[in-house]
Amino acid sequence: MIVNLPDTTTHLISERLDGLHEQRGEVAQGRVLTLLITCSPTELEESLKVASAASREHPCRIIAIVKHDVDASESRLDAEVRIGTDAGAGEVIVLKPTGELTGHLDTLVIPLMVPDTPAVAWWPTTPPADPAKDPIGAMASSRLTDAGRTPDPRRTFSSLRKFATPDDKDLSWTRLTVWRAMMASLLDQPPHLPITHAKVCGEPGNLSVSLLAAWLRVQLGVPVSIEWDAAATAVRGVTLTRSDGGTLGLVRPHDDEAFVSVPGEQEQRVSIPLRTLEECISEELKSLNPDEVYVKVINSDFTFDETFVEDSMAASSQENALL
Amino acid sequence: MADSTAGWTNPLRDPHDLRLPRIAGPCSVVIFGVTGDLAQKKLLPAIYDLANRGLLPPSFGLTGFGRREWSNERFAEFVKDAVKKHARTPFRETTWEQLAAGIRFVQGEFDDAEAFSRLSDTVAELDRVRGTRGNHAFYMSVPPSAFPVVAKQLADSGLSKSQEGAWRRVIIEKPFGHDLESAKKLADTVSSVFEPDSIFRIDHYLGKETVQNLLAMRFANMLFEPIWNANYVDHVQITMAEDIGIGGRAGYYDGIGAARDVIQNHLLQLLALTAMEEPVSFSAHDLTMEKTKILSAVRLPKDLAAHTARGQYAAGWQGPEKVAGYLDEKGISKDSTTETYAAIRLDIDTRRWAGVPFYLRTGKRLGKRVTEIAVVFKKAPHLPFESTATKELGKNAIVIRVQPDEGITLRFGSKVPGTAMEVRDVNMDFSYGRSFTEASPEAYERLILDVFLGEPPLFPTTEEVNLSWKILDPIEEFWATQGQPQPYRSGTWGPAQADEMMRNDGHVWRLP
Repeated sequence: MIVNLPDTTTHLISERLDGLHEQRGEVAQGRVLTLLITCSPTELEESLKVASAASREHPCRIIAIVKHDVDASESRLDAEVRIGTDAGAGEVIVLKPTGELTGHLDTLVIPLMVPDTPAVAWWPTTPPADPAKDPIGAMASSRLTDAGRTPDPRRTFSSLRKFATPDDKDLSWTRLTVWRAMMASLLDQPPHLPITHAKVCGEPGNLSVSLLAAWLRVQLGVPVSIEWDAAATAVRGVTLTRSDGGTLGLVRPHDDEAFVSVPGEQEQRVSIPLRTLEECISEELKSLNPDEVYVKVINSDFTFDETFVEDSMAASSQENALL
Repeated sequence: MADSTAGWTNPLRDPHDLRLPRIAGPCSVVIFGVTGDLAQKKLLPAIYDLANRGLLPPSFGLTGFGRREWSNERFAEFVKDAVKKHARTPFRETTWEQLAAGIRFVQGEFDDAEAFSRLSDTVAELDRVRGTRGNHAFYMSVPPSAFPVVAKQLADSGLSKSQEGAWRRVIIEKPFGHDLESAKKLADTVSSVFEPDSIFRIDHYLGKETVQNLLAMRFANMLFEPIWNANYVDHVQITMAEDIGIGGRAGYYDGIGAARDVIQNHLLQLLALTAMEEPVSFSAHDLTMEKTKILSAVRLPKDLAAHTARGQYAAGWQGPEKVAGYLDEKGISKDSTTETYAAIRLDIDTRRWAGVPFYLRTGKRLGKRVTEIAVVFKKAPHLPFESTATKELGKNAIVIRVQPDEGITLRFGSKVPGTAMEVRDVNMDFSYGRSFTEASPEAYERLILDVFLGEPPLFPTTEEVNLSWKILDPIEEFWATQGQPQPYRSGTWGPAQADEMMRNDGHVWRLP
């Protein structure tokens, strides 16, 4: 059910929401968090769809703030309340402020938040320059950006990187969890030989590819090279070279079908689908903990266009294994 | 190799990295009794769900062992059907193909040495082709009478022995014997073949989120633990009620009864988790130590006639459906003295619980399907109200709802609106499903994954099983002298005897 509230106040919105709950015989308890979405009018519906789907796993109140007429002479608040089938397992409040009101978004949201529970801020595309200082971001205990979906991913990410705190996370990192888990479990298996070199292959310009390489370099402390492959979608594969020259590989040639190769064993097939936005948001809502590993990775020394080839390695006997 | 493993830590597993899920290492599972109900409805779907959640390794094998003349392909079809019908997560062709590549079937009887040598070959083939590296689990989804022969075959064929750096584990389901003696014998049989720390006893209740949440609730909060003792707690009621009859399980159930079927394992485990002291850590060793301590402090009532009750369901109406009494069920003799309802009082001899009775009850064909732990508190020592004002005020209670509708209920008195001061009981609900995921993993997923990872905190040990039988045996012996259990109408809350047992102590059963 969608209820339109033109030219309204926050008081009327929360009264209406309580009324709807009562009328429908629902209790509005059990919401574990508030998800604050800041987006443009064109992104609204898709973002709400993703958030509502994620709310099935983490029931939350979703507050979407759509800034449109910032320069309007009149300050006015239009709103929508969505509930039931139109809002997943949560409830949705859409706020459309105009004019001077757009400069005071925090006080607009404060009366509508779920009391005494954490808030998560998500910018589906364009984030503020410093999310932690943004009025909405400052209220959140976890801030999600998605530089990969902005017009210039590398530039956006580089600027976010400057201000990042352990509570700021970019979804280009979240998209890597499955790959990282697979790589870690590959190394769990004996023999536990040191890794001397790693290679990541992936889509040119994809942030996740660079982050995966940076993570491997930080954790393994070895040179990591990147091979940009124009035919790839996101990460295509990772190869780890051991001190005995053997290589451990995880390669996803197409779609979600990937292959694991380990020296002395037959290649195994494994399904690694591209992660959906919904899965990423769900993962972020599951754990609101600061991500120290991510901070370590983005504060490590890397740029997005480097390919980290170490000459001494290239000359060594492992060359064939790397190619 | 062992040396390099000892001090080795995986550089990609940072302790601060909270995102990385635990994925099982290369391994396979062999299921005995794979065409049974449990395998079809729970085990096979749980294995698929684990694969779908990306928690199984690429090198994974699944072998069915059974009587039917099936090829690998035919068995894979069977697994696919079970998965499509009962899996929790959506069916994905790529997950299925990954799983299907490791599916094998071995035809044979349990007493056929040939068949076990074929099984040995199959497992070796999985090591070779699928890279399962000699890590294999054996799931005994078979009646306990078949354990000894299967165990012996596993030993004879060398399947139970692992090479260096690999593991063999065995998973057994309840019943773990039918009394202390048989439980010990069973443990001897299994441990003569497998190392004690390679034996995993499944009590699927312990895999449930709510049961694990009990530990979080007690030990992560400041609110509950200070009143979790004899100073404040009046008594505790632990209930597991089923609305179904014995169905097709006559052969298993008759002669076993409700107490052996449910109290010995599920209810005593719930009692242990409710009553135990805070463990030093949540490692298997520390958790088991506390559970063992509390089970060894359990004292039976002196007068078993007054403090235990048993019943047998009689014909009646279960909701809109007319149902037969226990003695009229197919395969049950007309003079069976097996109880379908059992209630017992236990006391715990520790300072924390001195004088607090624990009431355990379970039964079939009761009012509804529900499992809960209710901690009932004492009345306030002084009520500064007119006595008429608190007439409707009962005792405060914290109820942990294990199933269905998992969550916690807090019961306390509240003023009835109006001019007069009148206090009445109200309930405050926390619903696990509403606050967290609607799609929480099945207990079997968690437990099977724990077996593959070799993490035993949620599995009862031999000692816990033995202690449970020590508690139940004297009661069973007493009941054996008491003739026919008291009948109760199907769809009600058990026999009159059980209500009387509570009345003797000045309590009443909750209506869950």
